[in-house]
Amino acid sequence: MESGEPHMSLSARKFCIGCGFGVLLIALPFLVKDYPLHLINISGIWIILALSVGLLQGYVGEISMGHAAFYGIGAYASVLLTMKGGLSFWFSLPLSALVTTFFGFLIGLVSLRLRGPYFAICTLGFGEIIRLLFVNWREMSGGPDGVTGIPAPHPIYLPFGGTLAFGSKRANYYLIYGLVALTIGVMYRIIHSRTGKAFMALREDHTYAESIGINVMRYKRLAFTVSTFFAGIGGCLYAHYEHFISPYSFTTGQSFDLVIMVIVGGMGTLIGPVIGAILLTLVPELLHAIKDYRMVIYGMMLMLVIIYLPHGLVGVWQAMRNSFSKSSRV
Amino acid sequence: MLIQQLANGIVLGSTYGLMAIGLTILFGILNIINLAHGEIYMLGAFVAYFLVVLWGVNFFFALVVATLAMGLVGVVAERLVFRPLRDKDEINYFIVSVGLLTFLENLGLLFWGPEPRSMALPQASQTIRIGEVIITVQRLYTVLIAVGVIIGLHFFIKHSRMGKAMRAMEQDREAALTVGVEIDEVSSFTFFLGSALAGTAGALMGSLFIVNPVMGFGPLLKAFVIVIFGGLGSVLGAIVGGLILGMTEVLASSYISSAYQDAFAFLILILVLSFKPTGLFGKR
Repeated sequence: MESGEPHMSLSARKFCIGCGFGVLLIALPFLVKDYPLHLINISGIWIILALSVGLLQGYVGEISMGHAAFYGIGAYASVLLTMKGGLSFWFSLPLSALVTTFFGFLIGLVSLRLRGPYFAICTLGFGEIIRLLFVNWREMSGGPDGVTGIPAPHPIYLPFGGTLAFGSKRANYYLIYGLVALTIGVMYRIIHSRTGKAFMALREDHTYAESIGINVMRYKRLAFTVSTFFAGIGGCLYAHYEHFISPYSFTTGQSFDLVIMVIVGGMGTLIGPVIGAILLTLVPELLHAIKDYRMVIYGMMLMLVIIYLPHGLVGVWQAMRNSFSKSSRV
Repeated sequence: MLIQQLANGIVLGSTYGLMAIGLTILFGILNIINLAHGEIYMLGAFVAYFLVVLWGVNFFFALVVATLAMGLVGVVAERLVFRPLRDKDEINYFIVSVGLLTFLENLGLLFWGPEPRSMALPQASQTIRIGEVIITVQRLYTVLIAVGVIIGLHFFIKHSRMGKAMRAMEQDREAALTVGVEIDEVSSFTFFLGSALAGTAGALMGSLFIVNPVMGFGPLLKAFVIVIFGGLGSVLGAIVGGLILGMTEVLASSYISSAYQDAFAFLILILVLSFKPTGLFGKR
């Protein structure tokens, strides 16, 4: 606060770094080959899912161990809406997310009355029931073989001629990362609003939050509903990007992966789940040597992070920065 | 027919009960919800499998070895994974156990592959007739062993010094510590006991059905259902809950739908959690 000058240049530097980063993100599909781009797209979907779990886990303090079910509901709902209902992807995207939200609301009515491990186990139970429905309700879900031939997002015809087609990986990159940006934007707005403050009050102390007049159930329901909405978006994107879904993509194992992403990245931040999702989806693919040991390493990582780095990688970064700025001040 | 089904239900229920007792004493005494309990069960089954199939060891001896080995695995897990988190929020135990579950299950897949294996014990195909019920000899052994273990456990917890220390910890942690109960000792021992029970259950179920690295997750979830149904921390609840779940599954799969056999367990879970979260015999 002594002089504004160095502060300004710092923020200008930040701005430049931000712009450079933005340009890099936009140019990225032209810089990498097809297969890496595919992996980047997949990891974009996981970013949305991890953010969805992270909102609950990091800000409300409740761990959902059944989020893969909502991811699956989004995917199956969109498959039904587009393939049986004949809707365009662009209508099906919000609709399937709303269908997911509806199920999220219902499941939230029951599960949100519980807290901590009880809530986690209850969501796990719902996740398993929904997975069993995907496997056994053949008329609706295609059974264990899944559904093939899911159409890519339909092309958009621009008013003055020209079309935006979504057959290519490149086009899907912009679609997926556009929605990643939207997710981050919406969550940022929520977290930095009064609602977000209420969430965090719940996380710190339920009784205290209630005593200062926060309607605990209402805010928990709101958080769960928003979270399942984005899980639905992720599911819908996944179905239309991969053109194939089966119940094996939506198991409790995947729910655990999401929890691991959030914790390894860093709970209670927005960047944490993003880092966690990228780290856990991209790195094992890029380092082929560890691909087979991927899940073993995930499990190991989760244990080490919980024991030694409770704030995840973001916490490590912050600690490093703090110690750096302290030493530079001296 | 009905009596036959009930007998099958008791076989299932008694092994579920063993799993559930292990899970429930960990919670009751140490406040730890251990999701990796099912992986200990899986490892117990593999130890028994390797002893029986590769080394031709007698099944009962293999069962004892599997039980003790899993007790030791439990002690190591407590020391390395759970003890460092003792003074932190209890939800951390739960999360770290997800890590342990993922780690052990995938380590198993890496070493042994996903294909199902069978111990192919001769007594698993011999049948015996008791009144109207026809049951394989191995299933009869399973029930008898489970009942024997449960009775033994009861006397141990009632009368031994360690059993008393465990009960003291369960009733009032602070008071137990002030009268000189060693928390490290009780923690290690509780993990030994709980994991040993999972090892017994795994070896028994492995002898009846198949052995593979993903076999632990289903029984873990069922043990959870039982423990929550019976009341977290209640041993009696775990036994009663185990029998009820075993019967429900057998009856529901033969009279309603076998495809949704597992769904009934979760339905019970959700109903209990919604209407009576403390369970049948729970205190809190």
